[in-house]
Amino acid sequence: MMHAKSGIKLFLYKYTPIILLFTSILNEIDFNNLGLKYFSFNFSYILIFYYSLRRTESLGYTYIFIAGLFNDVMVGVPMGTSSLSYLLLCAATGYLRNITLRPNIIKDWIFFLLTISFLNFISFIVLMLIFEYEVSYFDQIINITFTFLLYLVFSYLFNFYDNFLLGKINVR
Amino acid sequence: MERSRDDFVIAIRSAFLRKGNQQRFSILSLILFSIIFLILGSFNFKIINYTKIIIRDIIYTSSFIATIPENFIKKSYNSITGHYEHYDEYKKIKSELEKLRTKDLSKQILTFENIQLKKVIDDYFIKSNETFAKVLIDKRSPFLRSIVLNKGSKNGIKIGMIVLDDSYLIGKVVEVNYLTSRVLLVSDINSKVPVSIEPIGIQAIMSGTGKQNGILQYIDVETIENINEDLLVVTSGAGSIFNSGIPIGKINKDVDLNNGQIFINFYKDFTQLKYVKVSSNKKIGVDQSIKKEFELNNKQIATINSQKKSFEILRQQKSIVDAVRVIIEKENSELKIKLNELNLQLSQLEDNKKNNQAEQEEIKFLRLNLLYAHKCRKTIINQLHKVGTPKYKACILNKGKK
Repeated sequence: MMHAKSGIKLFLYKYTPIILLFTSILNEIDFNNLGLKYFSFNFSYILIFYYSLRRTESLGYTYIFIAGLFNDVMVGVPMGTSSLSYLLLCAATGYLRNITLRPNIIKDWIFFLLTISFLNFISFIVLMLIFEYEVSYFDQIINITFTFLLYLVFSYLFNFYDNFLLGKINVR
Repeated sequence: MERSRDDFVIAIRSAFLRKGNQQRFSILSLILFSIIFLILGSFNFKIINYTKIIIRDIIYTSSFIATIPENFIKKSYNSITGHYEHYDEYKKIKSELEKLRTKDLSKQILTFENIQLKKVIDDYFIKSNETFAKVLIDKRSPFLRSIVLNKGSKNGIKIGMIVLDDSYLIGKVVEVNYLTSRVLLVSDINSKVPVSIEPIGIQAIMSGTGKQNGILQYIDVETIENINEDLLVVTSGAGSIFNSGIPIGKINKDVDLNNGQIFINFYKDFTQLKYVKVSSNKKIGVDQSIKKEFELNNKQIATINSQKKSFEILRQQKSIVDAVRVIIEKENSELKIKLNELNLQLSQLEDNKKNNQAEQEEIKFLRLNLLYAHKCRKTIINQLHKVGTPKYKACILNKGKK
């Protein structure tokens, strides 16, 4: 019984990030658009950045690429846009991991801001200049701001969840 | 300096090229894939389009499956809240129904008149082909306000078809797959709809705002500022993308004329769409039978018009004749009176004449009587005529001869 429970916990620990990523993309509830005028954030960016930085093996690059394609189709933007953003985010976390000796949440946070600003810049160029989509700058600024602010909150939540699962596994 | 640059290059190279455990592709290769996808997506190749259609169909279907639990919760919540609101809504709907019933007849008449006028003005009919579809996914994104429908090219859906909820415009089809299709809502920032503001009939372009309202472009606020009533926004039909006269929303001037911008409140809540009507409208020319019917009608109208003119002339003639008749009757009556008078005079004259004749005869008789009385008068000695008898008179007039 205990063994089965630990198995479930291990499964959850291993696959929660990828399940969360695909669920957030395929579900109709989109944190990017909650219908509120001055509030939206990109949950996928937070999730990918956090888990790529802390647990590289939890989100495979191929899965992230596929998740990006799914997101593009769901959102209705040209296929490849989100994949490119997600993979660049992964590359950024890879770079940060390589240059960091002592991880610090505040440094990660600041680096996250720079990264998502750059990614939105890339998205803007792709959508507006190449595919001639009209995008609201104001909404994007709000999105970036809240994504940046909520990173701290979600990183604590993810950390708490992982510790909760890890703690149980370690006990076993 | 040299060392730090090397570290940077190594870190970048490691980030892009290193594969993790159980990773088949490096980030760089997947980024290249993404770029290839983007580039190929901008070209209109048949194979790429088919691949895209297959991928989209798979994703939409899997998304629909993934949202089943969420939709179940939503549906349950809505049914529970809907149950409580049911009675109030029933009363409201009942009163609205009464109002609408009264309006329905006049609407039907207006619709009929509208069709007739369109026939006269445009010389073509609009043939509509309607398909009902279920909203499969209603995923709002910051880039696109759109919904995915469960009907695709298999069901005859084509790019550019208009999408209605009841009779209100909600968007148009922008992407068609085999089993599904995507509708760009009019609330999307990329949506531009030529509209007409009624009842003043001003033309403008409506753009989405990305929120639950639209904004009018290429129109001056001052043009509608002095109008007191609520203004309705309907499609103008310009550009032949949408039919004319499809209702979209209304401008509530008390609220919407902010900062020189004119906002439109949509009639429909785009977050509550369940089933929609996809409609394609085809302009068809007037066929021969209808043309003949038109010609016949025109001839009939011309005949009626000419008859009307003739009738008018006849009516005028009749009025003249009547006037003449009145005059003649008047004259006639006057003449009759004169005739009577003359007849009277004539009879008097005749009487006079008779009297004169009688008098003359009497005078003649008396004159002859003086001369020939002795030859005719009865006496003792003769057997002639007694005085005063007709024979006596005749004897006198014959001058005593028998």
